[in-house]
Amino acid sequence: MMADIVSVERAEAPWWSSAGTIPGLPPIMACIGLLALWEVVARWYGLNGLPPASAALPQIPEILTDKESLIDIADSLRRMVTGFALALIFAVPAGLAMGRSKHVAAFFNPLLMVIYPVPKAALMPIIMLWLGVGDASKTLVIFLGVTLPLIYHSYQGSRAVEEKLLWSAAAMGLSAPARLIRIVLPAALPEILVGCRTGLVLALITMVTSEMIARQTGIGNIIFVSLDLGVYDRVYAMIVIIGALGFILDVIFESMRGRLVAWAEPSQAIVVGTT
Amino acid sequence: MSPRVSNTFDMAIGVIPIALLIALWQGIAMSGAAPPSLLPPPGVVFGRFLQQIVSPAYLEHAYVTLYRLFVGFGIAVLAGVTFGILMTGSKAVASIVRPIVRVLAPVPKIALYPAFTLTLGYDDASKIALVIADAMFPILLATYQGALAVEPKLAWSARAAGVSPLKTLFTVILPAAMPSVLTGCRIGLIISCIVVFLAEMITSTDGLGHLLVRAARNFQTVDMFVPLITISILGLLLNAAFNALRRYLLRGFPEEK
Repeated sequence: MMADIVSVERAEAPWWSSAGTIPGLPPIMACIGLLALWEVVARWYGLNGLPPASAALPQIPEILTDKESLIDIADSLRRMVTGFALALIFAVPAGLAMGRSKHVAAFFNPLLMVIYPVPKAALMPIIMLWLGVGDASKTLVIFLGVTLPLIYHSYQGSRAVEEKLLWSAAAMGLSAPARLIRIVLPAALPEILVGCRTGLVLALITMVTSEMIARQTGIGNIIFVSLDLGVYDRVYAMIVIIGALGFILDVIFESMRGRLVAWAEPSQAIVVGTT
Repeated sequence: MSPRVSNTFDMAIGVIPIALLIALWQGIAMSGAAPPSLLPPPGVVFGRFLQQIVSPAYLEHAYVTLYRLFVGFGIAVLAGVTFGILMTGSKAVASIVRPIVRVLAPVPKIALYPAFTLTLGYDDASKIALVIADAMFPILLATYQGALAVEPKLAWSARAAGVSPLKTLFTVILPAAMPSVLTGCRIGLIISCIVVFLAEMITSTDGLGHLLVRAARNFQTVDMFVPLITISILGLLLNAAFNALRRYLLRGFPEEK
């Protein structure tokens, strides 16, 4: 259905490269490289619409100390966390149940398949008609955007639970609901957390996209206000802030995940943001 | 239950939630709880949909969307597969591309869209650039992962037979990694479909996404649903077509889970 995370094992490099593991630049070097490239390209073309990095980056502290934009950013993040938390509460039990019962899976799968290609952020104008321009509609869109991968990964995780674990637990007298919480949930946790990682990036994407479409408040709105005013430095500074937010969220979540499921096989997955 | 009966049963219960959803929609619309200006009944929406998909003006917009989608997706496939394969083949390429991918992959690409409109203009180019940026990474990573997992003996044999390293990559490793590459492409295709629509909603003067926004501005609720349904059905059809293509291309490969 959808595997938004494509894992890249840090395996031995194959023979056709020279042997050994790939060392790789640290991400910070990659950032510096990308910024340098931006600077050079911007200076080379001298486009009005593409200010160099040295002009855009100083705007970042200004945005981050400006009270109004800070409130906008905080509002956005609050909606994102709410939407994500609601999706978690709904999607994980649904996914676990689908993985343990073939009939539950058969019940929900076609519906999920139909919903899958719908651009969730595009529902924004319609939902705004119903729920108004407030937090409710924005949170709902984030909820919708995040739910599918969470269900999918919980489903995959609970489907792959070792049957013998469940048999042993049943033989020791654990009831079915208790097995779901004590056996299935922990066993599926690594896969659920993979889903959470995709979901977190998706929540950010859906949030930014819906705000760009609705243009009321929030991070997406700051970009367009600056764009309309022609303050291009600020547009680019906001883009960097959003990009950094995506990367930082991912890094924080990865370190948390690493601690929570240190017992599971380590994977070197890279999240791919999808809408 | 025999397997066949159970399959039919499973398929039957799968229809229930979809039917319930449409029934709920119809029920709310009929009960008068929501006026038709907020929630038009499903029959009206589907009627309008059937009317629109044969209207030349509407098809013109659909064509614009499809053009952007396929050009963007095509370039994303070319770039993603090339970089993914080269990363497995060369340590130098991998050590540069890998950290860049690590940094850029989790970034919400849609945030780059204002930058694309500023540098590439408000026409096709900025939308195509966004599709490439969004669809390229899953394809690149799937290719890389698939190529790393290829049985080394295949490459050894080719090299022993005198095939150059670069040629080995593209004639031995790439075909062997095909299942993974095609999975990445399928994800990229759906992403392209969604992203092109969103980009058209944000700034555009044509395309299906623009039609939704235009209808929203004029409070024509029925016409807001129609482009959304069109792009979703388009996504489902493209997905199905790609799956068929994938099965055809992979007909010699061992069965996957």
